[in-house]
Amino acid sequence: MIPRPCVAQPAAIRPGPVPRALGWLLLVAGLLVGTAAHAAPRLVTVDWGIAQNLTAMGAAPIGVGQIDGYRSWVAGPRLPSATREIGLRSQPNMELLSQLAPDRILITELYAGQADRLAEVAPVSIVDVYFSHGDGDSDVWDSTIAAVKKLGRIAERPAAAHALIARTQSAIQKQTARLPADTKPLLIVQFVDESHVRVYGDGSLVAATAERMGLDNAWQETTTRWGVATVALDRLARISDARIVVMGPVPVGVTDKIADNRIWQTLPAVQHTPPIYIPAVWSFGGLPSASRFARLIADALVNAQTKAPAPDAGWPNAAPEA
Amino acid sequence: MTPARLCGVAVLVVLGLAAAAFTSVAGGLDLHRLLAAETGDITRVLIQDSWLPRLVVALVAGAGLALAGVLMQQTLRNPLAAPTTLGVAAGAQFALLIATLFAPVLLVYGRGLIAFAGGAVSIVLVFALAWRRGLAPNVLVLAGLVVNLYFGAASLAFILFNQEKLHGLMVWGAGSLSQNNWADVLYLVPRLVVTAIGAGILVRSLALLDLDELNARNLGVSLPWLRLASLGLAVFITASVVAAVGLIGFIGLAAPAIVRLAGARTLMQRLCWAPLFGALLLAMTDLALQCLTGANATLIPTGATTAALGAPLLLWLIPRLSAARSAPRPRVSVPIARHRHPERMIGLLLAGVAVMTIIALLAGQGADGWAAPFTLPWAETGAWRLPRVLAAGVAGVLLALAGTIIQRVSGNPMASPEVLGVSAGTGLGLLTLTWFVAAPGVWAMLGAGLAGSLGALALLIVINARAQFEPEQLLLTGISIMFAFDALQRIVLAGNDPRTQAALAWISGSTYHVTLATAVAVAVVGVAAVALAWPLSRWLDILPLGAPTARAVGIHITVSRLALLGLVAVLTAAATLIVGPLSFVGLLAPHLARLAGLARARAQMGGAMAIGALLMIAADWVGREVLFPMEIPAGLVATLIGGSYFMYRLRRI
Repeated sequence: MIPRPCVAQPAAIRPGPVPRALGWLLLVAGLLVGTAAHAAPRLVTVDWGIAQNLTAMGAAPIGVGQIDGYRSWVAGPRLPSATREIGLRSQPNMELLSQLAPDRILITELYAGQADRLAEVAPVSIVDVYFSHGDGDSDVWDSTIAAVKKLGRIAERPAAAHALIARTQSAIQKQTARLPADTKPLLIVQFVDESHVRVYGDGSLVAATAERMGLDNAWQETTTRWGVATVALDRLARISDARIVVMGPVPVGVTDKIADNRIWQTLPAVQHTPPIYIPAVWSFGGLPSASRFARLIADALVNAQTKAPAPDAGWPNAAPEA
Repeated sequence: MTPARLCGVAVLVVLGLAAAAFTSVAGGLDLHRLLAAETGDITRVLIQDSWLPRLVVALVAGAGLALAGVLMQQTLRNPLAAPTTLGVAAGAQFALLIATLFAPVLLVYGRGLIAFAGGAVSIVLVFALAWRRGLAPNVLVLAGLVVNLYFGAASLAFILFNQEKLHGLMVWGAGSLSQNNWADVLYLVPRLVVTAIGAGILVRSLALLDLDELNARNLGVSLPWLRLASLGLAVFITASVVAAVGLIGFIGLAAPAIVRLAGARTLMQRLCWAPLFGALLLAMTDLALQCLTGANATLIPTGATTAALGAPLLLWLIPRLSAARSAPRPRVSVPIARHRHPERMIGLLLAGVAVMTIIALLAGQGADGWAAPFTLPWAETGAWRLPRVLAAGVAGVLLALAGTIIQRVSGNPMASPEVLGVSAGTGLGLLTLTWFVAAPGVWAMLGAGLAGSLGALALLIVINARAQFEPEQLLLTGISIMFAFDALQRIVLAGNDPRTQAALAWISGSTYHVTLATAVAVAVVGVAAVALAWPLSRWLDILPLGAPTARAVGIHITVSRLALLGLVAVLTAAATLIVGPLSFVGLLAPHLARLAGLARARAQMGGAMAIGALLMIAADWVGREVLFPMEIPAGLVATLIGGSYFMYRLRRI
């Protein structure tokens, strides 16, 4: 019997009671601050990363695209219940938008083609991470920080934006201090099906966070603009000195077939170092994802060191959601 | 070129590519070292449990699909038939999708079983729809087409709303041959053997289908049972391949066509050579891909790439193929009672369009749920709805007209503006644009779409000019362009690039991006096109009777076909720019008009245009309101509404 990591139900990823309470506290505090000062701008966004950052700085948008998807894939922070669904991210509902009459609409470069259209309802701002860092020297971390600062200015909460950045940095430092000494380079993969994985490499927020924790990334090959590469398992065969991190959600059926998967079981990285598991992290644009990843990876690495690996070490022990 | 020589060349190519691919995996051609290596050695495992089974799976799957293709083409008497013609793959994909989203527990039993069940359900549906007509080929083809469209549209709607969750399914849908062990080989080989034996038993009866229906029956063949057995075999092996390795296009259509071109004229010859060549063709593509895609960050799936690479080959083959065509295809059209007063019927339909337009403009949900008409300001409701209603109606009219013309010119029930490849060309232009330009504006999209449709039209003319625009060859050309588009779309979806969101929404046919200016521009094009088409109704009444008849009454075949074709292309391009390439109103509306008893050219055109407008306006409204504020693209809803009615009517003819 192979121990199963939390099976493919992203909806199961919910913050525990403590973060939830914290979220409410933040929200109430945010509302108080908001009403005490002048009325904060009413923002809507189609992008989950922007929604994440705004919510974390206490300026939750009044409308977000595909909220159900946000709940399943972006573990936190939770959107306030007053935030409205505005439709598909690529096609926000124009009638509803003009009825909500927001002060500003926030999009990423990906949706820039619709900027003119959306501008008929409210002024549009583009806050982007992945197109701005492009091929230049600045990395995804710097662009994310810059994006958060820009959001702070737009939401008229510059102090909250700086606080979010500081909070994230101290969280990462705190988790870095917990890390075991001499950790192998990480190979962070998410299963697509039983033969393919998505690898998080250079240019992804997850890898950038790991880098700030002093953890090397074992994936040195090319990635897309979003810092991921979708590859068949045999492409991992050349990497021997690495610890594989399986990021959730694991699609149903993969766990059952992994024992018969000769490639996976013989991968040098799997044979030399037992893989570890962490729950899902939304890696596209939000600083809260960086703190979450730092906490999860530190937990998993500490666990891997203190506990003996399972007898059939080819598949990670389930790491309980903290 | 004989089939034997063709396969001989293919064997040499496969051997060469295999040596190259093997070297890159094993780091040398040293077989001895590999055999001596320890069991846990990764290189040995990569060769023995991944590379080798992958090669075998490619061969077996290619053979299976080609075999299914021969059986389908022979039984359905249609050289356009492919293993997926009867909806097996679409049903399989839909079943997997539903299981992934709503009952993931089922996936523990394996994807193969669910895919197979889905394929079986869709084929039972197709057979049930065609049973009363004794599984007559053209009714079967129609039923398969509508089931394909129906499940395809439903799948796309779910993909649109759940792109993240369905990424694994998209990889499957693009047909990746990656193997981790020998399980797929062990699954497929016995099934291929069973199918081959079955085909061997049926071959003599099936050969009689080359005669016409009456003669075959006189020789003592029970046609429905023969069709059931033959198609059952084809579906069985197709569903097995789809369940194991996902969707692999092109092989099943092309392999039988190519060996026939190479001189395999009898059914027996084609049954022997097509599977062999299909196996080699798929292995060749897969090996070439292995050699080429060293260090890519996105997947290049074999199934879809085979189709994308195969399309130009098919285009090159088409003029040569038609010359080598065997016995003429019998045209048995389904008799429908004519409506005695077509003008009353059309008047009724127009009244329906007017009512639907008023509903679509005034009724709808707002921020607080359903709002009574006029309670919300026009600027927040009607101003957004007007361009969309106008665009939907005009697109419906244009596509219905284009569909009526192309169906009458070709006499093929599968014909539609979409199948002509013009809208696929538009789609290719737009997909390419979204790939290279981060966020294209409306004008860039229009330009790219137009360039794509003109490119497709030019290709159609260049390839078909010598054959005087012979309808069957024309449709084969269009289907090749559609293959390329479909393949590219699958590759893009499997890549799971965030850029695909916008492209996906457009492909599924949404009026979302329409402005009042573009809607009015297309409406003007529409009025002009109708004015042009109206005087041509004599051609449209006579051309379906066949080229000799038309020539006898003094119609210049090439001129009339080219003029009508050009008109269809302009109509389609204009409509596609608004509602995307997948609306299928152009296929459904003319059939619905014909089923309503509108038989003469003008009556059918008028009826189809009214039905097209009604269907699209209704679909647009339903799509906007049913999941408010989410929007289901009008093209998808039109396919679902029109498809349901189509199936209902089809069952009763």
